[in-house]
Amino acid sequence: MDFFGNLIAGFQVALQPTNLMFCFLGVFIGTLIGVLPGIGPVGTMAILLPVTYGIQPTTAIIMLAGIYYGAQYGGSTTSILVNIPGEAASVVTTLDGYQMALQGRAGPALGIAAFGSFIAGTIGVIGLQLLAPPLVAVALRFGPPEYFSLMILGFVVLTYLAQKSMGKALMMAGVGVLLGTIGLDTMTGMPRFTFSIPELLDGVGLAPLAMGLFGISEILLNVEKKIKQELVTTKVRGLFPTLEDWRRSLGAIFRGTGLGFFLGILPGGGAVLSSFVSYAVEKRFAKHPEEFGKGAIEGVAAPEAANNSAAQGAFIPLLTLGIPANVVMAILLGALMIHNITPGPMLVKEHPQLFWGVISSMYMGNVMLLVLNLPLIGLWVQLLRVPYAILFPLILFICLIGAYVINNSTIDVYIMLLCGVVGYLMRKLEYEPAPLVLAYVLTPLLENALRQSLILSGGGFGIFMVRPISAGCLLIAAVLLFSSLLPMIRQKREKIVAEAEEDE
Amino acid sequence: MKQLQTERVGILFWLAVGLVSIYGSTRLGLGALREPGSGFLPFVAGCFISLMAVFLFLHSLLRRREAQDKPSSFWAGVHWHRPVIISLVTFGFVLVLERLGFILAGFFLLVILFKGVEKFSWKKAMIIPTLTLGLTYLLFNVFLKASLPKGIFGF
Repeated sequence: MDFFGNLIAGFQVALQPTNLMFCFLGVFIGTLIGVLPGIGPVGTMAILLPVTYGIQPTTAIIMLAGIYYGAQYGGSTTSILVNIPGEAASVVTTLDGYQMALQGRAGPALGIAAFGSFIAGTIGVIGLQLLAPPLVAVALRFGPPEYFSLMILGFVVLTYLAQKSMGKALMMAGVGVLLGTIGLDTMTGMPRFTFSIPELLDGVGLAPLAMGLFGISEILLNVEKKIKQELVTTKVRGLFPTLEDWRRSLGAIFRGTGLGFFLGILPGGGAVLSSFVSYAVEKRFAKHPEEFGKGAIEGVAAPEAANNSAAQGAFIPLLTLGIPANVVMAILLGALMIHNITPGPMLVKEHPQLFWGVISSMYMGNVMLLVLNLPLIGLWVQLLRVPYAILFPLILFICLIGAYVINNSTIDVYIMLLCGVVGYLMRKLEYEPAPLVLAYVLTPLLENALRQSLILSGGGFGIFMVRPISAGCLLIAAVLLFSSLLPMIRQKREKIVAEAEEDE
Repeated sequence: MKQLQTERVGILFWLAVGLVSIYGSTRLGLGALREPGSGFLPFVAGCFISLMAVFLFLHSLLRRREAQDKPSSFWAGVHWHRPVIISLVTFGFVLVLERLGFILAGFFLLVILFKGVEKFSWKKAMIIPTLTLGLTYLLFNVFLKASLPKGIFGF
């Protein structure tokens, strides 16, 4: 089936009233949590994961995906009007967006962020639709050794790009693997680390783990300090950028889109990294770099375009290889596996309605987001007045009830609380939870690939080195690991991280 | 506790996790390389965690000077008691959830959070939980058909 055939087939699924409604719900919630500081898409998706158990898998993924790319839109509103990033990918938007708002140009800043996001999001979906099928063809040649090596490369890249210590991030990946082995061994049927608790035979649930590590720990971190929300303005006028604004922004939007899309595909990449890189690129190649940080509209357009196209690009490794590029995609992978769907090259053949339906829903989602973020901007501005003191008990309560209804058992709630407290302490001590969750989700696939490879080779590790794709992945992983130990590169990496933190 | 000391305690905790998992995985059976057993991957993960913990501990010993520039404690300048109280209250909520039921336990939790932790007026501390409980009930019980605990009072 060609591009347009797939598109039509996808739209037939995406335009079904239920899917359309859940797509709207997803992008609405995405915008909501993007606007609200203190809760991000990972925590929200984890909280809503149990809600998706009772609905069709295609509908569930359409909604969860909507939350992810919807949050990229909503995050800019808070960055521009309050100088607090609504979520991590909008950190860099605060630099010029807030300055524009102080100069009375909040409207054009919000407008260019929404239009840039729309253009980037739409191009990103086209890219996803064009690139996914050829990659599926390549992925079909992958055997267990290639999958194993690719997952190892994913872990290494993710930890290499970790904001804090790479050593700690690697250790968290190890802890994630360990957690992923809890429960019945699928090959031998032997229970592992279940401590005679019957609920643990199925393993630690993804929802309580992610809700604890991202939702609860985020709340605990936020309540220990006062979040000050000072709105620059409550009346936003002139949302349509002027011709001069467009002239300055259009190139930045397209560059941001391209950069974001390809950085989104990389393991460990995604919306946060791409927004920083696109801002840096714009600043470096701008005619007047001195204007950046003082209200340059390109400084809003480029990162907002980049984080949206990255959100679409990140779907490629998940839908084609079955390997999540970042922790959000890991949660989507978990959601698919809960519905007994294994993402990977066979997904397009076995579940075409899901594959093309989800992609096509993104076109609809982007249009909905444009409507939500331009004419309805007043609604979100009012929402910014709700203090965190009201929000956090509500988020906490929904987390608790959400965790309970998974299995109607308090064990999941205890696990979530424990993970929340551990996650809080981890973040205080600068251990990032993302590598842990990614490793946890990938462990069943990793273990199967490792065991099958060793059985195939009769117990020799050489199988990972004699196959070109596998050897290539391991070589890149080794180069990254060793390069991080070289003083010059380590200092450069730490400098980049420090600069990012200063910007924050 | 000083920041560096706290960090070392954290590393030692992960070292203990690694060592315990090595012990546990050997009991599960490592199998042979041509047919790895149930304990093989946890063993590899345990070794990796322990090695990284040792590496990080040694690294922390070399960072004394750098640490002097940092605040004395991870808990300096923050309201650390708030997360502690919230964790304990939430833990209490889970303990009584199935006995008291969703509505009563939820009401007490939210009132404690709004009145006890956030110091809202009694009026707000009663209205917001009531609305929240109503909406949550609608979402989970009516729309999602999930069964919420009713408790000894039957609601």
